[in-house]
Amino acid sequence: MGEAEALAHAILEVKERIIRCTTCNNMTDVDPCAICSDPRRDPSVICVVEEAFNIPTIEQTRDFKGMYHVLLGALSPLKGIGPQDIDVAGLVKRLSPGGVHEVIVATNPNVEGEATASYIAQQIHPLGIRITRLAFGLPVGGDLEYADQVTMSKALEGRREI
Amino acid sequence: MILSTLTAENFRNLEPEEHAFHPASNIIVGQNGQGKTNLLEAIYFLGTTKSFRTTRAASLFRFGASTLAVAGRVLRDGVERTMRVALETGEIKRRLLMINGERMPLPEYVKAFTVFAYSADRLDVVRGTPDDRRRFLDRGIASINAAYLDDLSRYHRVLRQRNALLYEIGTGGAGVRSLDAWDEGFTSAAQSVQRARDAYKNELAEAFERIVAAHHYHVSGVRFEYRPNVADLRALRKEEVRARISLAGPQRDHLDFTIEGRPAADVLSGGELKTIVLFLKFAKLELFRRRFDEAPLFVLDDIDAELDLRILQKLLAGLPASTQVFATSAKEAFLEALRAGPHRRLTLENGRVTTSTEFV
Repeated sequence: MGEAEALAHAILEVKERIIRCTTCNNMTDVDPCAICSDPRRDPSVICVVEEAFNIPTIEQTRDFKGMYHVLLGALSPLKGIGPQDIDVAGLVKRLSPGGVHEVIVATNPNVEGEATASYIAQQIHPLGIRITRLAFGLPVGGDLEYADQVTMSKALEGRREI
Repeated sequence: MILSTLTAENFRNLEPEEHAFHPASNIIVGQNGQGKTNLLEAIYFLGTTKSFRTTRAASLFRFGASTLAVAGRVLRDGVERTMRVALETGEIKRRLLMINGERMPLPEYVKAFTVFAYSADRLDVVRGTPDDRRRFLDRGIASINAAYLDDLSRYHRVLRQRNALLYEIGTGGAGVRSLDAWDEGFTSAAQSVQRARDAYKNELAEAFERIVAAHHYHVSGVRFEYRPNVADLRALRKEEVRARISLAGPQRDHLDFTIEGRPAADVLSGGELKTIVLFLKFAKLELFRRRFDEAPLFVLDDIDAELDLRILQKLLAGLPASTQVFATSAKEAFLEALRAGPHRRLTLENGRVTTSTEFV
């Protein structure tokens, strides 16, 4: 009794109470989630991430004030994950009423995340909404010497004036 | 870069004892089958995590063993580091790379210690399959640019994904249009591999030609031809869907060594081939030195009479004095070039070093 049981209950409670937000697929205990229902956030920008746990990382910066959309995965034919297994359809549905003017694609910078970003871009282009991809570059505090060629050429592509 | 000691456990027939080496030359002698080449292979393995004789890691394990490890002390820029590669086989296959007891990812690890190998097996570069030559290119590039390994693994990853998708399409599990999402990433990953291969081939050919000319070698017309396999994926799509596999890309690149348009392997004698491969190896060494301003380790396996020993002697004499060399031969006389200077002579019997003498 005591701590162990309390912990077991706590885990059970999380499992029972945590649901997916029916708007953005974020993990939440209320639907819509705290972000989707926050009137101070900008509903005209949607940031697309692979998993709900990517959201806190972006939130920590406090620089992003828009909405999210969680795909619940990334394309991976090796794992049998195709377009129907990730929630791009839900994203397109959110965009169709209008009012969203930018979609930021924040999928992982690996081959699966890149393919997923390509797929999303192909689906959204016909809607005429601006699509952006997170910039890739050199890790802050890192050494140029250790950058691989892809990172380096992406960083060159995304260079800016100073 | 100096390897001062090495210990191998369960590595082929080598006994788990610590070997000390000479910073200049090390001559390894012994009867056939005693483990001379195994010792060189262990040195090469410590630096590259690979063998120069086989691509099958399983053959490196002592008979019946399921774990192996090679460790050594490496001196570089006045700092001594302990490097260690451990492999585990069986149900769980694992590779553990450590420097000073700390785990390292492969690109970091291989940067710490560079070994070049010349062996009769290396003739595969000229005589073997296109795959052998692609591997030759890739290893050469990685030796001067460890980040290339990341580019290569990114390409292989996207290739595997794309092939899985092509198979799915072929079996009716996905639509043809689903390739759209993968083609852009595939093309850009392929391009970064092919750009690196092309640049390296040019540099290598130039260094090679200079070395051949400097030695007035009678075979002088060897040309390097790199043919990257590039295709318009749109135009190729129907065919790829039918084949259920990617039909273009670096996995189908060609590197050919030709003489007057004919494959060098068909024109040259065995001895000429060996000497050409030796020149090639020295060209690789030169590119490395140009980039890092330091000498890697150089292991020469099984020097025999077919090789032009006069040229070998000149090549070795031309190496910077700081180059640590390890060489084996069934006939000690072939290692005359190394015996003239300061060296250590190790005799191997049944996987054990029975005598180890330093000649200063």
